[in-house]
Amino acid sequence: MKLTRLFLVALSVSLFVSCSNDDDNNDPKGVYDNGFFILNEGNSGGGSVSFASDDLATFTADVYKTANPTDIAGVYLQNIFFDGDKAYIIAGGSNVINVVNRYTFKLIAKVETGLANPRYGVVKDGKAYVTNANTYSYINPATGNTDDYIAIIDLATNKVESKIELGATANRILLENNKLYITDSYNDKVLVVNPATKALETPITIGTSGDSMEVKDGVLYVLRAPYGDNRSEIVKVKLSDKSVTKITFPESLDRAGYLDIYNDKVYYTSNNSVYAITTTATAASTTAIATASLPEDGSIYGFAVKNDKIYIADGGDFGSNSKAYIYNLSGSLQKELTVGVGPNGFYFND
Amino acid sequence: MLVVNYKTTARPGEWEGKQQDASQETCLYNKYRTLGKKSVEIMTLKKLFAFYLLLLCQIMSAQNDSITNLKAVVVSDSNLKKYSTSQSVLKLNDSVINKNEALLTDLLNFNSTIYFKEYGRGMLSTVAFRGTTSSQTAVIWNGININSQMNGSTDFNTISGSDYNSVSVKAGGGSVIYGSGAVGGTVHLNNDLGFYNRFENNLKLDYGSFNTIGINYKTNISNEKWSAQIGFSKNSSTNDYKYLNQYTWKGEQRWNQNGQYDIITMSANLGYKFDTKNSLKLYSQTSNTDRNTSLITETETKSKYVNGFNRNLLEYDGDFGKFKTNFKTAYIFENYQYYADNSTNQYTFGKTESFITKADLGYTLFKSTQINGILDYNRTKGFGSGFGDNTREISSAALLVKQDFSKDWKNEFGIRKEFTDNYKSPVLFSLGSSYQFGKLYNLKLNLSRNFRIPTFNDLYWEQGGNPDLKPESSYQAEIGNVFTYKNISLTQTFYYIKITDLLRWVPGSNGIWTPQNTDKVNTYGTETLLSWKQQYGKNYFGANATYAYTVSKDIATDKQLFFVPFNKVTAAVSYSRNNISAYYQFLYNGFVYTQADNDPNEIVDAYLVSNIGIDYDFKFLSSFKLGFQILNLWNENYESLENRPMPGRNFNMYLNLKF
Repeated sequence: MKLTRLFLVALSVSLFVSCSNDDDNNDPKGVYDNGFFILNEGNSGGGSVSFASDDLATFTADVYKTANPTDIAGVYLQNIFFDGDKAYIIAGGSNVINVVNRYTFKLIAKVETGLANPRYGVVKDGKAYVTNANTYSYINPATGNTDDYIAIIDLATNKVESKIELGATANRILLENNKLYITDSYNDKVLVVNPATKALETPITIGTSGDSMEVKDGVLYVLRAPYGDNRSEIVKVKLSDKSVTKITFPESLDRAGYLDIYNDKVYYTSNNSVYAITTTATAASTTAIATASLPEDGSIYGFAVKNDKIYIADGGDFGSNSKAYIYNLSGSLQKELTVGVGPNGFYFND
Repeated sequence: MLVVNYKTTARPGEWEGKQQDASQETCLYNKYRTLGKKSVEIMTLKKLFAFYLLLLCQIMSAQNDSITNLKAVVVSDSNLKKYSTSQSVLKLNDSVINKNEALLTDLLNFNSTIYFKEYGRGMLSTVAFRGTTSSQTAVIWNGININSQMNGSTDFNTISGSDYNSVSVKAGGGSVIYGSGAVGGTVHLNNDLGFYNRFENNLKLDYGSFNTIGINYKTNISNEKWSAQIGFSKNSSTNDYKYLNQYTWKGEQRWNQNGQYDIITMSANLGYKFDTKNSLKLYSQTSNTDRNTSLITETETKSKYVNGFNRNLLEYDGDFGKFKTNFKTAYIFENYQYYADNSTNQYTFGKTESFITKADLGYTLFKSTQINGILDYNRTKGFGSGFGDNTREISSAALLVKQDFSKDWKNEFGIRKEFTDNYKSPVLFSLGSSYQFGKLYNLKLNLSRNFRIPTFNDLYWEQGGNPDLKPESSYQAEIGNVFTYKNISLTQTFYYIKITDLLRWVPGSNGIWTPQNTDKVNTYGTETLLSWKQQYGKNYFGANATYAYTVSKDIATDKQLFFVPFNKVTAAVSYSRNNISAYYQFLYNGFVYTQADNDPNEIVDAYLVSNIGIDYDFKFLSSFKLGFQILNLWNENYESLENRPMPGRNFNMYLNLKF
């Protein structure tokens, strides 16, 4: 009796599967195709991931919990990177990377060892390169600022296979032309690593507090926003000869936040506003194209420009759900989304 | 808390800072660390113990064992009784203390209206009393406020109930007498010294699930002139309980990792009566808590938090008829050491030393009117990796008046003002009246202004500490109705509290979190306490219940404060006959929001937990009880804080000897 029922179920499932296989290929590969994820760092109880479709018509507040109701993604979600059909969610406070199907968000595996305060990751040839902040100098003054490393993860086994010691601090990472570029924001460098030899090459001096970075036409753009009375800057590094030029911001743009390049324009934020200059510009623009009206506790904590839209996440008070704001390129608000606690990034799933 | 540019770099304190987000929580957990070169600490303990033993022998030799009926007990905090006629005080004596689990969290959670938030069993435990924050409940040790100078609150899982003769819970404001933090209420840990002939020993040994071991020993040695009370307690557990119905992604049973704790406390209290007029008392207590911090996910870095304290209080009482004096001098040391990674020896730390002197002069003006003038000086020196080296001095003057118009109508009034360079201090007051209508009904009214001063973390944290903070201040009004009928007593209290300048750590525009006097909160609700006792022949029955309904709203957002339940119920019934006694108790905690925006998806679910226990007295010595308890009888799967499951059904057995 039971067996028969099982057989029937199996049959109908296989029918269903084969039917859906016949469907034409443009169909979404899962409910979370053709949209973007908003990563919510969360509070000490754990973070979450929200999803909105590209047309902003559908929205899910917590896709990780929806897809994996019995699992916890971890504390202080920092970054998502993709490879093939998989998305990798880095939980810095939990020393873990959750491997999920990027279209269904179903958990596939976890990278559970070899990580220490993981930050950001990139993928090259089946291997992920993930920066690890390791210990912090306020707890470990001796080596806290020199023990950061890159964990190399074999994506076939989801295990850390080796490490590259950096002897510096490491945060954001970017892959360009077979080289890894890593911000060393406590010092004044961008580190350069050759993943083939795992060797550190001569770093590029850009000034302290380098953060968001992107490459366009062989030029690395790094936004740095140092403390105190020091002006913020976009540092442009010509990667072929590592020559550096700078666009120094006026005082009104102090403590700039984020940078993103889209269609020959460099978009950057300062306070609650977004500005843009062309990639050839030599001076900063002080005319905001969009200004988010954030609550008193709010500040821009995540930023992206993509699909002719500007995406801004309000970090909020880290004790409540916060919001993401989506503008068109001329700065008019298209949509406001209530996401999770401490949203810090947008990741496009197209 | 401290954050260096959390936006752009991920450097120190970023996560620490985020924990600050639990705004009112004032970063207790990230400050969750303590000093304690442990070996040194234990050395000190050993030395102290040797000293106490020596003392014990001397006193014993001067003792005869006969217990007389003359029971002169000197309470350690006379103002608690004297100035609380218009408020409700719930006193838990040692028989209740012994029935509950060792740590104060369990005792108060199952027997009072106070809400507890525990970061897992035995971990950091903070309270919300009448909908206020964890630093708005003051813990008073023999009349001295012992809330942490660093974070403003008390961790109730570092205190073992058996170290005290009684634990009293006083609801409502008490800043006029007890100072900072007495907003929602006060918890009083009292050691009362008896001046009558006795030599009593009490030893309780516990063994329970998860290798939970309790050793509690107390001895009382006294005659009409001397009184000594010496105690030792050690409570530890590997605390590796399974999480009910929880499995990792690999299908492995999840369990409470890195949750072990060990709490050792030694106490010695001494009293000497020079004559009928003059007496001297010395209270001393040293404790060390060595705890790991349980994990939310298996992959987290395992951390450890060690904290300890040493408290000494010397008290002189002079009773000259109409004129009474009480002088107190106290030295209180507290410290923590936090190991972010307990596989290394790297830690952050903080310690404070407080020196307190208090002069309380009482005068009986007429037969019906007593006044007390209190002068107080407090010097606290703090030193820590997070807040540098700072000293703060606070002086205060207070006047208390108690007037009994008649046996039935009693009034009390108090006023207090603090003087310090650190903050602008409001004038605090308290006004209360109690009227007994016949035998049945007692009406109580109380109005008070209370405050909570900024802590060392709030003022001096590097970076972000804000030296310009004001104290949190509150007005409070309450009406209490006490009905007494035969063996039943019902206390019903309505209260309203208006809190302004509530401190919250907020992320600044420069990315550095900093505390601000931002929020205003209205909290109101009702508290119901019910107790009943009855004897039928040899059968003794007892029942106690509490119910709290609490609304605590942020005025700006009209949202309930997170981690304040609307409803909490406790109840206990007990039965004894001849040598057997048994009890059943339960605790119902309504759901709490975990976020300030009251997202209905982000809550900790309501839970109902029950315990049952039975013991048998074999009547060796003066008492020899063997007891057995089932905790979480119905195997409730619950959390006190999100993603921090509590244990399912578990067991405890104990031996309680009196000789």
